[in-house]
Amino acid sequence: MRRRSVLGTAAAALAGALTLAGCSGSGSGSGSDSDPGSSKAELSVSGPYIPQPVSADMAAGFLTITNKGGAEDALTSVTSDVAGQITMHSTVGGAMQEKSSFAIPAHGQLVFKSGGNHLMFEKLKHKPEQGQTVTVKLTFAESGPLTVEMPVKSATYNPSTGH
Amino acid sequence: MRKKTFAAAALLAAATLTLSACGSGNDGKSPVSVVSEESDSGKAGTVLDQPFEKPDLVLTDTHGKKYDLRQETKGRPTLLYFGYTHCPDICPTTMSNIAVAKKALPRAEQNDLRVVFVTTDPGRDTPAGLGKWLKGIDPQFIGLTGDFATIQAGARSVGISVEPTTKDKNGKLVSVHGTQVIAFSPKTNGGYVLYGEDTTVDDYTKDLPKLVKGANP
Repeated sequence: MRRRSVLGTAAAALAGALTLAGCSGSGSGSGSDSDPGSSKAELSVSGPYIPQPVSADMAAGFLTITNKGGAEDALTSVTSDVAGQITMHSTVGGAMQEKSSFAIPAHGQLVFKSGGNHLMFEKLKHKPEQGQTVTVKLTFAESGPLTVEMPVKSATYNPSTGH
Repeated sequence: MRKKTFAAAALLAAATLTLSACGSGNDGKSPVSVVSEESDSGKAGTVLDQPFEKPDLVLTDTHGKKYDLRQETKGRPTLLYFGYTHCPDICPTTMSNIAVAKKALPRAEQNDLRVVFVTTDPGRDTPAGLGKWLKGIDPQFIGLTGDFATIQAGARSVGISVEPTTKDKNGKLVSVHGTQVIAFSPKTNGGYVLYGEDTTVDDYTKDLPKLVKGANP
């Protein structure tokens, strides 16, 4: 019985996960009709960080993009002078999946967090060390680009505990 | 939150040992709906009623030498994880969390503990490459590589599902890591506690002193 309910939940989560991070926003189908005054995306970034990686070959990056506006937008690329390449990934069952864009729902959020979506930095010029910052440029389908300073935290940094 | 997720993942793993991890474990962890499930007493580890037998894995260590997992870790507290080094997020975090927690143990217990990282990506993870990567996390950690089918069968025997490295549509290699760390008892050699990938440094720090004695956390 108990097993069944948990499995059911996982299945429900699977269905829910297909809509991406929209679940943390104001629910589906909001957007256009609720706020006629703001028909554009209004983006801001919070909680950016990079856990200190093992080497310069590869690092992960995390942040949250909040859209206060009434129109959807999409993150289409992330670049940095210090990384040969930055790609965007979702994670499904222990496997990463590279994506060319991530939707940012109107009145919603796009969340990159450990265990879920992440930015992958490859071929860094130097291994990022705790205490440094890495500057990245986020490019969107509609809105203008945003520049974000990502602090490098410890390898075991957990944003929910702050250490 | 993570307890629930993990319960769901563990049940799925238990229910379908042969099922690919794809689509199961991680989906349980994504959103909202998992939060309201039954409570699990706030512990990070799940103690198994029926411990797993230690996988009968004979692989190659980071020095290129043969490593018989059962023989080498017999009577030692052992943590086993399946992952790969071209992994930006969970694999290094899991290993780093254990490395930091391990430093809080008395020196003798640190030396007694075996932390074994088995690659799921033997094509890219050479013994030397694996050794270099682990050295950047904890020089005492043991890295093993070998034939993928052998590794996959070993993982499956402890309820962990991994898939071979494949190429995505852009021609990039994509590998799969396990979603759990398994603790084996020094007393019984059985794999008796499972840790999900949200387990924190603090969780491991709290549990390792018990695990090194084969006690329940």
